[in-house]
Amino acid sequence: MLRKITRLENLCRFAFILPLFALVFGFGCDNRHYDDRLKMEVQQLDSDLMNRWATSGVVVLNTQPNGPAHAAQLETGELISYIVVEYPIGSSGDFNSAMKKAVDEDNNFVLHLKDKPPIRIALRRRGDKVGLTVEGNGTVRVKEIQPGTPAANADIQVGDVIEKIVDERNIYSLSDYKETVGKLAKHNVIFRTSELIGVKIAAVSALGDLGDARAIEPLIDLFKNSREFSLRKAAISSLQHLVELSVLNDLFQEFQKADANELPTNSLQTNQLESASILGLLTVDRVENTVTLEVPFGAQFRHRSGSLYQKINEGQLAELAEQYIQIQVEPEQEIRRACLAILGILKPISAIDGLIAVLENSVEIPGIRFQAGLALSQIGEPAVDALIAAFETEDPSTKDIVASALGGIGGTKARDRLINALETADEPAIRLTLVDAIAKIGDAPSIRALERQRERYQQDTDSGIRIFLDEVFRNLNEKSM
Amino acid sequence: MKKLWLAFVLVLFVVGCGTQNENLAKGKELIKSDKRRKEERAVREFKLALQQPTDTAEAHYLLGFYNSQEFYEPNTADWEGASIAERGGQMFLAYKEEPRKYLERLIFETLRDDDLDIQNAALAALKRVYEQGDRKRLISQLQKAIKSGDNRDRHSAHWVFGHLGRDDPATLVPVLVKLLDHRREETRLNAVKALGEIGSEEAIPALAAIIESGSARWKRDREKPEVRQLAVAALGKIGGAAVPELIKIVENKGSSLRVDAIRALATLGDEKVVEPLLNALREQSSRDVPVRLN
Repeated sequence: MLRKITRLENLCRFAFILPLFALVFGFGCDNRHYDDRLKMEVQQLDSDLMNRWATSGVVVLNTQPNGPAHAAQLETGELISYIVVEYPIGSSGDFNSAMKKAVDEDNNFVLHLKDKPPIRIALRRRGDKVGLTVEGNGTVRVKEIQPGTPAANADIQVGDVIEKIVDERNIYSLSDYKETVGKLAKHNVIFRTSELIGVKIAAVSALGDLGDARAIEPLIDLFKNSREFSLRKAAISSLQHLVELSVLNDLFQEFQKADANELPTNSLQTNQLESASILGLLTVDRVENTVTLEVPFGAQFRHRSGSLYQKINEGQLAELAEQYIQIQVEPEQEIRRACLAILGILKPISAIDGLIAVLENSVEIPGIRFQAGLALSQIGEPAVDALIAAFETEDPSTKDIVASALGGIGGTKARDRLINALETADEPAIRLTLVDAIAKIGDAPSIRALERQRERYQQDTDSGIRIFLDEVFRNLNEKSM
Repeated sequence: MKKLWLAFVLVLFVVGCGTQNENLAKGKELIKSDKRRKEERAVREFKLALQQPTDTAEAHYLLGFYNSQEFYEPNTADWEGASIAERGGQMFLAYKEEPRKYLERLIFETLRDDDLDIQNAALAALKRVYEQGDRKRLISQLQKAIKSGDNRDRHSAHWVFGHLGRDDPATLVPVLVKLLDHRREETRLNAVKALGEIGSEEAIPALAAIIESGSARWKRDREKPEVRQLAVAALGKIGGAAVPELIKIVENKGSSLRVDAIRALATLGDEKVVEPLLNALREQSSRDVPVRLN
């Protein structure tokens, strides 16, 4: 009998505990909340999204038309990461009450003093003193600062006028959101939203890969207007990729004309084939003499190639790149490098002066100056006069880069200037660059000029230039064989 | 009586010794030894062992396992005989002689080998089992492997399922879809991977359901992020009819899988993708929105 009673008691206890568990776990799992006050539904940020993007907040799922959230222009998908409340200070009572509320949650707040930048005050633990005493009505001033407190370590002086206290509350979860909105119900607040940069970066990269002309203008807009370096960098890289794809248009037009995804290798330009193959657009089979567009990407791109080529060559992109190669306009070197690469591919004559300016700029990073020279050599013949003019400088780095660029371009004018420079040059370093540049041109007058140099330095056994000349001739002989 | 028994055992032993495949034994000894070119020499013994009347199943298996094209001059008959397909053929012959033993050995032992050629030979053998052998038993063993607590078995099973399923999605996709409800996360993960490798559109609804479970109201109904991520990648591998599902993920601003979906779409090169991607670029940047709470 006693055992039966005990069993019954256990059963009752179990019957009580079970719903309690269901209640705790059930409600704990709810990841959506309808905010009746603002007439909008919010959702807890996925924990994996939180981990992957190191971000927090609640996502707006929908807003009811004409409700307060809708009126505030909150949009579906926005991520509310902070709720910010401002307490204007008009009396010492205001100050004390604002401070109490502000440190209540997260032990930190932002103090706005007249004619000073905002100061963030953080307390080590709850209950610590800020260390400020204030006085006044209408205008509230700092009366006293206690030594050894956070206020004493900040840039605050006695007599400073306190305008407002700003409390920024980080929203980590749905319960944070509910609690904060509940506590601040009597205030006007600011919802600070966070942009999920990762999504935009992925979209930007994908648009670059897809090679669609419609992406160019939005990417340019994003590049110009975003404040996020990572996003701007991704945008310019995608634009660079689109430019690289656009120069393959002749090749893809061959496939388009034949309306085929496979053509004989020998009917196509070798250099374009190599580039397209590196970009993963096609595969070349020299044994079978076939070039096959990769499915699905290459096969789809041939339909888009023409419009991409046309859009890229409208000039907007070259203009953008010309502007952003300048260090005064663009402080990020990776972006300047991408712009230089774009100019090297597009070869606009209008960019020559800008490129010369980068090349001559002693404040610029050497690698970037060299890349400007490379872009000029890619532009070719039209850049020769400007390069020859730049060669007259006294700066050895500029001379060096220009000589390389002229060697890359070649032609009579460039060659004669280089040979003349080699015959009169005193600096050993520039002589080596000149020899290299002349060897790159490699025509008969260039070889004769190099032979004259070899004779000149024949007796000089320790001379670096003689060793270098020997090597140059060895390479030239190998090539001619 | 005792003496009689002893004599009987002795006779059995002598008979047993007489019928043992000597070449097979020699080959196995060589493999165990540290002699030079032991595998090449063992292969020669296994070939000879096939001409003996006994233990040919093991000889077939070991020949398939150890024979390598590296032992021969290219384009000779021996070299051709050591191709992956031929090695798989030898393993299949072992299976034919002793189906239960060698099916288990192929799935739970051979596929685990580090040598890719051996793995591929086992796969070739299992393909033949699927076509010509006990298909039902093979599927059941693969299910056992993918449900196993050992990661190597699960990985092997997903790999074989992926290959077999390309030729027969109608049979194998439902088998894998059923595994998506398995209690072990790693099993579900491998089933999703296999579905991606099969690339059949029949798997799209099941994969979409996994992905959508991320926004389920209750935690118990939500699939683990890693599995959902792989389901997105699987949709990317399927391509074609999966593109609208991927676009749906990109458009769902509360989804944690948007980046995965964008990456999957980018590799497909479909122009339908451009507009949703441009819309993603137009989304609001970080900003301050004044709101009246009172």
